[in-house]
Amino acid sequence: MTPASFRFLKAMCVAATGCMVLAACGGSSTTSTNLAADQTLKFPILDDFGTLDPAIADAETDSEIQQNMFNGLTKFDNNLNVVPDIASKMPDVSADGLTYTFTLRHDVTFSNGDKVTSKDVLYSWNRAAAMSGAYGTSYGTNLAAIDGYDKVSSSTPVGAALEKLLEAKDPSVTLSGLTAPDDYTVKVKLSVPAGWFLSAISLAGTTGQIVDQNAVKQDFDNWWTNPATAIGTGPYKMTSRVPKATVDFASVPNWWGSPKPTVTKVHLDIINDASTAITKYEQGGYDIYGYGGYSNAPVADVIRIQNTSSEKSQLLIHAKVRTTWVSFNMVSDKKRLAKGPFTMDQGQSAHDLREAFALAVDKKKLATVVCSDIVCEAATGGLITKGLTGYLGDGADPLGGYDPAKAKTLLTGADPTGSKTKGLTYTYDPSNPLNKPTAEFLQSQWQDNLGVHVELQAVSHSAFIKSRLKGDYVLARDGWQADYNHPQDWFDNLWGTALGCPDSSCTSGYHTEAYDALVKKADQESGDAALADYKKLSQMLIDDVVYIPLFYSRGSFLFKPYVKGAGTNNFSDYLWNGIQILQH
Amino acid sequence: MLTRGTLIYISQRLVLIVFTVLAVSSAVFLGIHRLPGDALFNEHLHGTEYQNVLHHYGLDLPLWTQYTNYLTGMFLHGDLGESFVNRGVKIAPLVLREATVSAEVGAFALIFTIGLGMLLGVVAAVRQNTWVDYVLSTTSVIGYSMPSFVIATFLILFFAVWLDNFTQGGFYFQIGWTGTYGSIGEIWLPAFALGFPYASIVARLTRASMLEVIRQDYIRTARAKGLREQIIIVRHALRNALIPVVTILGPLVIGIITGGVIIENIFGIPGLGKEFATSILNRDYNIVIGVFTMYAALIGIANLGVDLLYVVIDPRIRY
Repeated sequence: MTPASFRFLKAMCVAATGCMVLAACGGSSTTSTNLAADQTLKFPILDDFGTLDPAIADAETDSEIQQNMFNGLTKFDNNLNVVPDIASKMPDVSADGLTYTFTLRHDVTFSNGDKVTSKDVLYSWNRAAAMSGAYGTSYGTNLAAIDGYDKVSSSTPVGAALEKLLEAKDPSVTLSGLTAPDDYTVKVKLSVPAGWFLSAISLAGTTGQIVDQNAVKQDFDNWWTNPATAIGTGPYKMTSRVPKATVDFASVPNWWGSPKPTVTKVHLDIINDASTAITKYEQGGYDIYGYGGYSNAPVADVIRIQNTSSEKSQLLIHAKVRTTWVSFNMVSDKKRLAKGPFTMDQGQSAHDLREAFALAVDKKKLATVVCSDIVCEAATGGLITKGLTGYLGDGADPLGGYDPAKAKTLLTGADPTGSKTKGLTYTYDPSNPLNKPTAEFLQSQWQDNLGVHVELQAVSHSAFIKSRLKGDYVLARDGWQADYNHPQDWFDNLWGTALGCPDSSCTSGYHTEAYDALVKKADQESGDAALADYKKLSQMLIDDVVYIPLFYSRGSFLFKPYVKGAGTNNFSDYLWNGIQILQH
Repeated sequence: MLTRGTLIYISQRLVLIVFTVLAVSSAVFLGIHRLPGDALFNEHLHGTEYQNVLHHYGLDLPLWTQYTNYLTGMFLHGDLGESFVNRGVKIAPLVLREATVSAEVGAFALIFTIGLGMLLGVVAAVRQNTWVDYVLSTTSVIGYSMPSFVIATFLILFFAVWLDNFTQGGFYFQIGWTGTYGSIGEIWLPAFALGFPYASIVARLTRASMLEVIRQDYIRTARAKGLREQIIIVRHALRNALIPVVTILGPLVIGIITGGVIIENIFGIPGLGKEFATSILNRDYNIVIGVFTMYAALIGIANLGVDLLYVVIDPRIRY
């Protein structure tokens, strides 16, 4: 190479480097307060939704999307208070708590223009109740308090046959407690008072939501898969869908509710890998991460973002509605195979053993070790998740404490020879990435603080749940994700004879006469009286050491600075119609 | 080219593919139903309600009845059933669409594999024992030593993250997929990640094969006749050097097809590979069977294509 050409090459390299440096030093974009011309909201979900039919939906993703497509008579606002939705005001409730009278708004329409009247409410709820039995839905029981539910939910016709019966208002699929005196009044008669009823029917995206019979009858099972028939009363409607790939929504023109949608289009990508989705968010490909039920970002990504000055303000970590705990097998009978040293029939020694195992676990350290204090926090306020009605308060649950000395004393007294605690196994499902490190942490805590070796057993998720509910495990990972903001959702679905305890659908088998009586009473009450009784139930569980609380889950969200109005509460994303995209 | 023998061979292979697909789908059907757990059970379904769900999907029928219903649906109606997790989603159109997406990425990866691999191998052979040869050989060794998902992660780190940060969003690889079939800008990087390990293998094999061929007497004769070197390499040497390469093309194509599972998950491509992992984790029986069935068909057809390529490359080979 000649000296001249070498000098030329050197100059080109310097120039190229200078250009790249200039490009790298380019100023960051700023956010205006004016609305962007393109009001398209884009975010990923990590798996396609299962259904958009409110009658059978049971997954968080389904309800997070559906809440923007459908409405019920009442709903939860952003602060988790029950407020009117299609109803013009909160219902009138009779003195005996059995009759709820809803007055409907006159301006509610479906996205195809059909007016909503009381007959739509009757059709939707009768349909949901009938499908709860025939299709085996998870949230059909949200309507269980209504007179006639038991009969309707035991009907068996499906599909077009069921639609025929509904059209004919056949008694087998008509809730006797549901009537419509006129086009804008719905009267609901309950079989027993149920203080939780309004909370249950307010649950977004499930059985309380109203559907259009004209749309449903075109394809009873799959009407929601076709944008032409996926009709709801919500501010958005589905415009296109490529299963397992993308879904698009558009705002409904002249929507009846408020706030009127500013975002005109919503585009969802289905991306299975959370890190890939976050990378695309950071590239500007998405406006939000965590919406649609996928707020479980990898901890490594969250820590990285927290340490990135340009991004950390976009991160929101918020309590969700899931509590994780350890359940003991507390009943010994022919059907429950587990037996073990913790069963209630073994009296005080079993109680002391349960308490020893509970106090031997440092829950705060668990949250640090397993969750890096990011995706979970120590459960010290009872089993109901922090932020929900019924939460006892930080540090209020003695079982959430850590006292290894007392634990050892209790163990020594209850099991002086070590024979009762020999050969114990803790069973968990590794499907959630937190479950295995949690199991390993528990094992080390029991070994270090009690000197008890507990084997670990991993079982695949659905097999694990089935066996756990049959009482096959002595110590098992347990947990609950609240459906709606009412303590009844916890106490009715986890313990007690009404649930099926000890031998059916009951992890711990726990049931006592006192518990059964009090939960029945509390379920029929409302307001402060109900809360006081639910608090007593919490205390009952604590006194009997029914569980070892571990942690409350938290979700991680990312919001671009130009996205206004987005956010989350414990249960759900803020609605799309409250979001605005600013110029950026 | 298409002799009677070749046509008979093709039809025999197609029949064999059908039987292979039947055997694979049957084995997967029986195996997946034996796995613990299912897609339908969850904590909110208790007792009778869960049984009703099973009944609704026909999962409470005897296994043999479920199997014969499945076979009838597949062969008589082309119906692979419906997803248990994503209700209303028909399996057949879903896996067909996803298979074409995977085939698109795989085809680009294959073009890259063969094109780049052969190019590197030829250049390395022609420039044997020079710095060009050493660099290309080292690159090949690195290429086939690293799994494709490691390469994919590095590529994303460089092109999608670092380049984006360095150029302040001016120039970078945009992760993701638009529309059903993506765009060239979205395909090239995953295709590179998928194909690079195999391109390295092809490069090494091509180099070795070329070195053997260019030492043959007929090449010396061609040079003595005064032919230009490029003509000698391309028209005379390369064709014969390709035969060993075509031999490994079969396993290579299978590697690209199956390697797509991880690559599609990493790059967020809505293909069969992504579906493969998701459906197994979800215990979505019908999709698992559909995916395996489609993979069996794809691999069978790919292998047939490779075998027919022999006939094109080497006229002495006849079926």
